[in-house]
Amino acid sequence: MTRFHLILLAAAVAIAVIFLGLSASTMGWWQSRFLDVSTPALQAGSAISGKISKLNQGLKSLDELEAENATLAAQNNELKATRQLTGNLEDENRRLRAALDYRDRSPFRLLPAQILSRDASSWWNTAKINRGFAEKVDAQQPVLTAEGLVGRTTTVAKDVSIVLLLTDENCRVAARIEGTNEQGIVSGRRAAGNTSPELVLNFLNRDANIQPGMKVFTAGVSGAVFPAGIPLGTVKEFRTRELDGQAILEPAADFSRLEDVFVVLGTK
Amino acid sequence: MIRALILALLIYLALIAQEFIPAVPFLGGSHILLVPLLFVYAALWLPFPGVLLFALYTGLLSDLTFLHATGDQVEIGLGWSMLFYVFLGTGLRLLQPLAPGGRWEIHCLASGLATSLLLLVQYLMVCLRRESFLLDGTILWQILGPGLAALLLAPAVYFFLRLFPGARWAPRAHKGLTS
Repeated sequence: MTRFHLILLAAAVAIAVIFLGLSASTMGWWQSRFLDVSTPALQAGSAISGKISKLNQGLKSLDELEAENATLAAQNNELKATRQLTGNLEDENRRLRAALDYRDRSPFRLLPAQILSRDASSWWNTAKINRGFAEKVDAQQPVLTAEGLVGRTTTVAKDVSIVLLLTDENCRVAARIEGTNEQGIVSGRRAAGNTSPELVLNFLNRDANIQPGMKVFTAGVSGAVFPAGIPLGTVKEFRTRELDGQAILEPAADFSRLEDVFVVLGTK
Repeated sequence: MIRALILALLIYLALIAQEFIPAVPFLGGSHILLVPLLFVYAALWLPFPGVLLFALYTGLLSDLTFLHATGDQVEIGLGWSMLFYVFLGTGLRLLQPLAPGGRWEIHCLASGLATSLLLLVQYLMVCLRRESFLLDGTILWQILGPGLAALLLAPAVYFFLRLFPGARWAPRAHKGLTS
């Protein structure tokens, strides 16, 4: 290695060190601007990915088509018989669906958003959504689906925001278990992945009577990001540790199929 | 120069594209990382000043993509990936004499190692920040799986990049860091 190369190497290291010295807010600002620049590419990628996904779902083998055909033929006969009875029920169903529309029945002001992409890194669970400060999204706002809590916003750009998912180890939420006085902190697991993540509820009493199937909700402690009463998950298992009890939860929201979410802008 | 710009554009597109590639179930749910593959190619091809520029560029974009801000804390700040790629590029530059005119095997092996090394360094930093160290099968897969995927993908990426006219190893590259 020549002296010239060593000087260049030292200069490159010095540039990297200068970046390392930036404050967290400045780094966030840079990331926000980078997201602004990348928004068209992210939107195009999301559209292409969606089309490929739909194409994959539409492709079936000959055996699958044959089996599906047999099932459909049987269903067709059954449907003919029940058709007369279901006319009124269909109208009623449509009306009830509209009445139950989550956005209307929710006590929060919700902004619908779509997941653009999921973090490709192994150590963090984040997603990008197609809403930003242009639609009054701010950092530290809860994101949820009709089923339950999804996470909270972190970096917000004009038309894109990053959501720290509940399945990330760093996303900690005060929680309570339905029907008990038990409260604890829910978080994700390190390197949990995106396919079938579990949540952990720590700092419970060791002798708490917690059974599988119990529902867990946000506790909504004072000054917290998350309001009370948002479903987090269902207890799968409870185990005692040296100092506390720990429950393993099945998340309420389906993290393997996140597509449409809501950002909580405030209460109604 | 034009070819280096094309490679720089490919690195940016790869950063975006890898977010849309689903995790691979048979590799323990590992993600496929394309950026290290492209950087290794650039590091084995470009002259040393170019490698350093590429390292700063790739590191900056990677950090901006993966910056993980929780409150007013950042787990791995801007600059760490730049440092990683600078040292990786310097190390790879030393390998150039082993690949006169370009050898796909070198690119393939270096891509696998670089990908797993990147994830290992990231993981150690995450453990340091969170003040706890865990190591189990899932985490090992998250480190080794993407490296394995890079090994499998590297030949295809290598021959794809060789399609670009002039994107082959330059004769001066044979001398490694002695030039």
